[in-house]
Amino acid sequence: MKQSTSTRLTPPGAACRGLAISVACLTLLCALSISSAAASPQPWHSLTPSQQEALAPLSKQWNSLPEAQQQSMLNVAKHFPELSTEEKQRFLSRLGAWSKLTPEQRQAARDKYRAFSQVPEDKREQVRQMVREEQAK
Amino acid sequence: MKPTNPHDITPEAIAGLLTRATERLDDDTVAALRRARNLALEKQILNQPAFTLNTGHGIHWPVPHTPHQWMAMAALLIALLAGGISYWHHAHEHEMSHLDIAILTDDLPMEIFIDR
Repeated sequence: MKQSTSTRLTPPGAACRGLAISVACLTLLCALSISSAAASPQPWHSLTPSQQEALAPLSKQWNSLPEAQQQSMLNVAKHFPELSTEEKQRFLSRLGAWSKLTPEQRQAARDKYRAFSQVPEDKREQVRQMVREEQAK
Repeated sequence: MKPTNPHDITPEAIAGLLTRATERLDDDTVAALRRARNLALEKQILNQPAFTLNTGHGIHWPVPHTPHQWMAMAALLIALLAGGISYWHHAHEHEMSHLDIAILTDDLPMEIFIDR
């Protein structure tokens, strides 16, 4: 009873001001979070050894890559340590060609890969088998 | 008994004295105090309306009344929008990097997914 009285006696205006300030702070944090996602360009020498290892095929052209592409490559490089040795070899051998594609070509490739991964497993295996046979010729 | 200096009495002691004094009041005085308190609370609520969930038309919806409440509501909506955009942005980047990794490491040649 005592508590409810003190709660009701709190001026509603003050509570609203508090709410407005907290929500404004939250808005600012969200805005900062979005802006931090668009990071500024990073010179090659500022990358960590792990990032440099994953992005080694791009070392020469890294500083001239657009910011958005650098960020995209850095996001991909985060997963490099989790790959098997064979996957790392494929990754490094393909990264140069991948980085030379236009953003539209990369997006089209992602869309195709996503569509392919939704095909039933047995059909995908048939395609893999056909490609292996083609490569063996 | 030694007279007490009013400056020596702590707020807690005053509260205790008031509580004990209230217990000794007769029922009529207690009822009159309760009526006065309720009246004061009603006046305060009328003067400073708070958020309500009832518009008076049978529709339950939080309607702001004061400029501060409008500001709070607008800030809340902006925060929700910013949070939604931020979440979508991160989810999209996460999906893109996973697809990139998959294309770059799959045992299928990367070229079969690329339009030249």
